[in-house]
Amino acid sequence: MRERIAIIDGLRTPIAKAGGKLKDIQAERLGAHIVQELALRVGLPFGLYDEIIMGNVSQPAHAANVARVIALEAGFPDSTIAYTVHRNCASGMESITSAACKILSGDGEIFLCGGVESMSNVPLMYSDKMKALFETLAKAKSLSEKLYTLTHFRPRHIKPIVGLMQGLTDPVSGLVMGSTAEILAQDFGISREEQDAYALQSHKKAEAAIKAGIFKAEIAPIVYDTKAGKVMEDDDGVRMGQNMQALGKLRPFFDRKNGTVTAGNSSQISDAAAAVVVMSESKARQMGLEPMGYLSHYAYAGLDPKRMGMGPAYATAKLFDHHGLSLKDIDLVEMNEAFAVQVLANLVAFDSDAYAKTHLGRSQALGSIDTTRLNVNGGAVALGHPVGMTGTRLVIHTLKELRRRGKNRGLATLCIGGGQGAALILEVE
Amino acid sequence: MKYFDFSIDSGGIATLCFVREDGGVNILSSEALNALDTKLDELKTAKEIRLLTISSAREGIFIAGADIAQIEGLRDEEEAYEKVREGQRILNKLSALDFPTVAIIDGACLGGGFELALCCDYRICTDDAKTKIGLPEVNLGVLPGFGGTQRLKRLVGLSKALELILGGKILNAKKAEKLGLVDGCVPKGYLAFKVNNFIEAVLNRPDEILKKRPKKTLMERFASPLIFYVARKNVMTATKGKYPAPLAILKLFEKTQNKEIEIGLNDEARAFSRLAVGDICKNLIGLFYTSEALKKERGVKNETEPQKISMVTVIGAGVMGSGIVYQFSSIGKLVRMKLRGYEQAGSAMKSIHKMYDSIIKRGRLRPEEAAIAMGHISYTTEFDGLKNCDLALEAIIENTEAKQELYAQLEAVMGENAIIASNTSSLSVSMLSEKMDHPERFVGMHFFNPVAKMPLVEIIPGKKSSDKTIAGVVELAKKAGKTPIVVGDCAGFLVNRILLPYINEAARLFEEGADFEHIDRLVLDFGMPMGPFTLADEVGLDVGYKVAKVLEEAYGERMKVSSILDRVYHQMQLLGKKSGKGFYIHTSGKPKANAEVKNLVYSKRNLEKQEILDRAILIMVNEAAMCLEEKIVENARYLDMAMVMGTGFPPFRGGLLRYADAIGIERIVITLQALSTSYGLRFEPAKLLQEMARDKKTFY
Repeated sequence: MRERIAIIDGLRTPIAKAGGKLKDIQAERLGAHIVQELALRVGLPFGLYDEIIMGNVSQPAHAANVARVIALEAGFPDSTIAYTVHRNCASGMESITSAACKILSGDGEIFLCGGVESMSNVPLMYSDKMKALFETLAKAKSLSEKLYTLTHFRPRHIKPIVGLMQGLTDPVSGLVMGSTAEILAQDFGISREEQDAYALQSHKKAEAAIKAGIFKAEIAPIVYDTKAGKVMEDDDGVRMGQNMQALGKLRPFFDRKNGTVTAGNSSQISDAAAAVVVMSESKARQMGLEPMGYLSHYAYAGLDPKRMGMGPAYATAKLFDHHGLSLKDIDLVEMNEAFAVQVLANLVAFDSDAYAKTHLGRSQALGSIDTTRLNVNGGAVALGHPVGMTGTRLVIHTLKELRRRGKNRGLATLCIGGGQGAALILEVE
Repeated sequence: MKYFDFSIDSGGIATLCFVREDGGVNILSSEALNALDTKLDELKTAKEIRLLTISSAREGIFIAGADIAQIEGLRDEEEAYEKVREGQRILNKLSALDFPTVAIIDGACLGGGFELALCCDYRICTDDAKTKIGLPEVNLGVLPGFGGTQRLKRLVGLSKALELILGGKILNAKKAEKLGLVDGCVPKGYLAFKVNNFIEAVLNRPDEILKKRPKKTLMERFASPLIFYVARKNVMTATKGKYPAPLAILKLFEKTQNKEIEIGLNDEARAFSRLAVGDICKNLIGLFYTSEALKKERGVKNETEPQKISMVTVIGAGVMGSGIVYQFSSIGKLVRMKLRGYEQAGSAMKSIHKMYDSIIKRGRLRPEEAAIAMGHISYTTEFDGLKNCDLALEAIIENTEAKQELYAQLEAVMGENAIIASNTSSLSVSMLSEKMDHPERFVGMHFFNPVAKMPLVEIIPGKKSSDKTIAGVVELAKKAGKTPIVVGDCAGFLVNRILLPYINEAARLFEEGADFEHIDRLVLDFGMPMGPFTLADEVGLDVGYKVAKVLEEAYGERMKVSSILDRVYHQMQLLGKKSGKGFYIHTSGKPKANAEVKNLVYSKRNLEKQEILDRAILIMVNEAAMCLEEKIVENARYLDMAMVMGTGFPPFRGGLLRYADAIGIERIVITLQALSTSYGLRFEPAKLLQEMARDKKTFY
């Protein structure tokens, strides 16, 4: 067996609703805040880190290779190398597994990894027609030529293309993520009420967790408005006292006529950053560090982009088959809630021999997931899903929750836009 | 000694390069001027020269200025005049050369150095950070005497010249180019070939260069009296008329406004020599030398390597804590704040944001740079993330137990080389470190309020502080742009120990029936930046009272807190400016005297102006003498500088002890003895003063 990867410690910012508290903080600033805070708390000299790897989906135009910008703004020396990884919604896991690959191949020992997303700052873009107009205008030499070019302008040219919507649309199938969720609702016959009920309990669990201060162990508060001196300490997406009536009032967003997926039973668009420090288990021991936990195995799997939500079933099957594991070995499951229906569909698929045979290449079902061990403190429906960051959050939360409960092994899994799935086995001891 | 290298190429381009044989700094001493004189006489008739450039071979310096020691040595006005005229005569030769001349400025080009450059027909400079251009003479109590006043106004116009010379402004290369002080500014790495391009332009297309120079504005043509009026008003606001140099500059500009240059130069030399022999010029030069000496101080008398400090933690997020966090973040350090709650992080960041805003508004920092600096500030409520910090600076309440408990917590989590420092303003450093495991890594580091503006930091070694620790914080304070002065570990340290008796005495004068507004006015007129009662309100009566009490405990009867302070703070519960009411009522607009406080004293009495000043100021002189006696500070110069930087003691007086010298030590002792008889033993002259009077010695 390969050596395990030690995850020394992890931290995240609170998750803010997009367009809300963290909207004026760009991705690199958000990332630098958490990377600096984590590095300080871990307490190793900054110069000791071999590399910084950050996951980020909507990479800002003003900060190309955002990981390197984060490293410098966080106070790391010029000699610290850094790069950015992108595996859509799993980018925040990809940063960790990339580091694992490097560590296991001897290409560096100490890594700071994480994920960051400022969905508030995904830009609006000009249409191709407007772009062409600008280009012609720039080439025009005389004033009359410029004026002539301008006569081709039409108001519809400035209708912006919303970068965020483009990012959440699968370019191959042309389906927006919500529409892939509607397909799963049809495939598995999952009703609007079931979805809303799932969403409700996600909010309730998150509400209880916030009130119990469970997330305090993973959140580093942030002064998000220095001018007014305002501080954010908790996630703000959770609707305290959420109920079925309120959820029921929302109109389906992706299929107005027959749809079941609403803003209320989907994950929220948010801003946040998270980071972990990783190294080999032996290195951690040698340095006398007490890791928060370990990454023992992981797998990524590919599937039909139109049904990308089933990623957890595919990736978990690949992981279990490869390492001879089963659900019996798992104490806690964190399955990202991209959509309530997508989690519900996975619960069915995990437990179905037929699905296992037709889709997962297995003779038997993966097994039934005990819902009392699933997303025990709520998920992205309540907390939000800052796409590039979520993967790292799942790793941190799974480990901290395992420790809190005195349990040992967890599965962190998520679906990935474009038709992939990720599954990680995380251990405390 | 040789001062200049001369060379000429085949194309007739000659170079005069300032290079001192002895490797000293390039300054325009009379020896250098004489060497230049000889050289210019040779060049005058050299037919083969088509163009002459003047440059410097010294890294980072073109010509740093005139010889300050020579100015300081001037005692006789007529002699001073002759010397300046001689310098002018030599520089006139430069401006009278037949062929074009170009000054190539790479490095400091100040005072006399810039006046020499102004005698050249053209000037270009590099954009190097060390390139600084200006006429800062006013800061030393004189004015540019080598033609600077006359030539600068001809180059950039009256209002800009006045602004630059009155303000003693030192410009960076970009700004100098923008204002027209130079004809071009080029990146240092391009200098070699850019100079060739420039020379080519001077020889073939001079009009192109000349037409870019500043034009006379309408205002200057038609409304120069208005320019003078505004300038005079600004000078009076800034100096309250206490400094003769700015006034002399204004007068000179008015007088020479439409005069020929030769007459203007003569008037300039006259004005210069009057100022140069005056006491205020000598006082300001004295302070300049002291600040140069302090720059070289390392805090220890041996070669101990200072502890390197790259990351700092500040504990306490009050006014001082936030100010200190700002100060260190502004020099690129990572700074961590340890707070009681995260709301405090919000309020601290808010005040730090304000400090950054104010320097952004003054154009000294770009908003992006400020954002990155603020991003280097982190905050925590636990004792975590401190392992990387090399210094923890404590700025919490003045409570011994609270501080000692904090140090124990810090020692448990910080690295094995980390320094712990206290910003205490009154508690003994040795006492504070008594319970520490490593008192050798503990030291006092006392900043003054407001931190961003006050240059002084008192460094207070405790009995056990190591040299490495002391040198470390001294170096750090310097890097943060402050002036650290090492002082002894006595109650109040240096500045507060001297200042408190003065506030106390002012309060007693009020108690005896003098009007406190009158006292404030007299002291203001003496030159202090504000009167003692205004100061007490600013500092906060609670803070002031507490410090006063600590001093009373330490020094007894001599520093017994005036009962007025007790009544105003304890009975009336006034806090000063922060609560809106103290000796004055602070609403919007000018503070008004608080009638309730005035009514505390029934019997009014007129005290002589001289008596009020003697009691308020001489009690400080007496305490200062005791500080020297007890070796609380290394010497009188440093003490004077500390008072100037820590309290705003008027620089034109050269410092508290230089003022004492000016009055005469004997006279002071006699006055103190008389005061002691009438008002009590607190005025009993210090032993040092008595000895000095007997031996007819002075502090300087």
